Amino acid sequence: MRRGAVIPAAMVGLAGLSACSPQSALSPAGDEAERIALLSWSLFAGAAVILSLVLAALGAAIWGPARIRRVLSGDGLIRWGGTVFPVVTLSVLLGYGLWLMRETIAVPTPPELRIDVTGEQWWWRIAYHREGAAPVSEANEIRIPVGRDIEFTLRSNDVIHSFWVPSLGGKLDMIPGRTNRLRLKADRPGVYRGQCAEYCGGPHALMALEIVAVPQAEFDAWLAAADQRGRPAEGRLVRGEQLFLSAGCGACHAVRGTQAAGVVGPDLSRVGGRRFLGAATVPHTPENLAGFIINPQTVKPGALMPPFAIFSAEEISALTSHLGSLR
Amino acid sequence: MSPLAHARRVAVWLLATPRRLLGVAGAMAVVVLVGAFLFAWSGAYNVAASTGHFRIVDYFLRFGMENSVKAHAPSISLSEENDEDRVRLGAAHFHAGCAYCHGSPGTPISPVAASMLPPPPDLSDKVGLWRDGELFWIVKHGLKYAGMPGFPSLHRDDEIWAVVAFLRRLPSLDRHGYRALALGEIEPEPQSGAEIATGQTEADAIGACARCHGARRGPPSRLVPILHGQPAAMIENALHAYAAGERDSGVMQTAAADLSNAAVGRLARYYASLPRPVAQAENSEPAASARGEAIARAGIPARGVPSCLGCHSAEAAPEYPRLDGQPARYLEGQLAVWRAGLNDRSTTGKIMAPIARRLGEADARDVAAYFASLAPAPEASR
Repeated sequence: MRRGAVIPAAMVGLAGLSACSPQSALSPAGDEAERIALLSWSLFAGAAVILSLVLAALGAAIWGPARIRRVLSGDGLIRWGGTVFPVVTLSVLLGYGLWLMRETIAVPTPPELRIDVTGEQWWWRIAYHREGAAPVSEANEIRIPVGRDIEFTLRSNDVIHSFWVPSLGGKLDMIPGRTNRLRLKADRPGVYRGQCAEYCGGPHALMALEIVAVPQAEFDAWLAAADQRGRPAEGRLVRGEQLFLSAGCGACHAVRGTQAAGVVGPDLSRVGGRRFLGAATVPHTPENLAGFIINPQTVKPGALMPPFAIFSAEEISALTSHLGSLR
Repeated sequence: MSPLAHARRVAVWLLATPRRLLGVAGAMAVVVLVGAFLFAWSGAYNVAASTGHFRIVDYFLRFGMENSVKAHAPSISLSEENDEDRVRLGAAHFHAGCAYCHGSPGTPISPVAASMLPPPPDLSDKVGLWRDGELFWIVKHGLKYAGMPGFPSLHRDDEIWAVVAFLRRLPSLDRHGYRALALGEIEPEPQSGAEIATGQTEADAIGACARCHGARRGPPSRLVPILHGQPAAMIENALHAYAAGERDSGVMQTAAADLSNAAVGRLARYYASLPRPVAQAENSEPAASARGEAIARAGIPARGVPSCLGCHSAEAAPEYPRLDGQPARYLEGQLAVWRAGLNDRSTTGKIMAPIARRLGEADARDVAAYFASLAPAPEASR
């Protein structure tokens, strides 16, 4: 108990810093995350009180008057303070925790939107379920409507990953052969960063994602636009699309409405609208995109995509322009 | 005391304890080493190849060599006798790599090579003395102190076995039979004195690609790819990769090493312009071919294998080869090379290497069967 109490004390000091970060359990932006934050703060506060009592007893045992030292050295203190007190405190804490997190464990209402998230080495495969239409494939950036109950269906295709967006809720493992469900809600628009929280091999640390919470109307329009695809008009974009297909990118990556239908790598149908590349590894700029295509290892060491150093400068620029135009 | 008695007393004293004995042995070793150094330093030894070895030295060296080969060689044999594909590929490489020193049926050993010490033997007489595994080992590793080089790529055992397959055929060949195997469709015309004098034609067509890859016809061996109508950029990159040692092949590294950049470009354009030879598509086992087609079209997503046709279709980038109608044996052999982790150093090799490593042996066989079963498009379009 004594050692454990030091960490909350340090975290209280850091709370001011992390509260403004997009990836922090201490800046909750949804019901689940708020419950977790409340539980954490209760724990920290209780631990701080107990730490103070222990330190006071320690001080009294060293410098205190003989009468108090006699009490501290008696069997009674060990019986009550060492056995009964922890049992009662921890039981109360467990009961409070179970009561507080009851909605996380069993949700009575059906979700308003279902999103599949499948862990892959080392990125996130995403599919939005729709009424009466095929699911929409995406990757590495999840858009959600604000204030809606969303059920994330968590699976894995290779090894154990863990889905954790601290500002929206607790973490839940993605286990091969199992389907786990996680209910999340974002109370206000914003970008919430998540991270794979279970070591899954090489570039595990570079397997991040972003949840972008937008108003319902904006989300509906965005999802509805998934099937619409304008033909590239500009010559450079036509050239880029042609290079994408002839270089074989489409064997691994899908772009809806084109011949590119690969399912080995992330779906690129709307890669142009994503804020980051390589599972939230680097910001999405034409330079970073070109660097990733030519040699992914320089951006994300261990990534499974082979290096495509076959393009001229003009070709790579046409290709990145084309990808940037996919929104 | 007589000198003899004195010497005996010294000897007894020196050999009295193990410690003194060790000292004597050490001192003798130092004397021998110093003596050997002085002998080499003096230049008294005649290093001339022309003088030959003493007969006893010659016998001793041969004795050591034969025992070393027998001790190191693998015990495996050729998997199949009279494998025509291997014999033809082996013959073509023999002509480029071995015939200069060892001669060939109808062409005696060159006087220059014959003046080496030891002189390279006429292999028709010698191959019968060795087992398959021993021939394989000699071709692969060469022989120290004998001027026999190792194979240019130590990773391509399949190519070395092709040479062994040819060596087994060698004793039964006459000049005509040898040239048919080694030169393929190349038939050097009788040359005029002027042409021979000015070197305008190569008498034996050592570097001629068509010996293996064909030109008017297709390749004579199914271990060799059809280059007719392939994209020029792909052929050019492959030749540069072989010359730079980025692709592993003793046969192709030998052939590509001394081509200039301009020659590589011209060669690539020449083969790209050739019409595909009219060849019968191979009769693959339908089930294997169907499994291969599924992989070629959709890949094996669960194992991260993309569709082959994503990069190997007729519309693909000119850096990638077209696979339709290539011999199954060649495709399977190349996939085995990729799967063994080789060929992963060139620009396009880096793309293919990780994909091929995810293919199983059976997958590779099926994919090869599928592409071989496709009739190649007849026109030259690239």
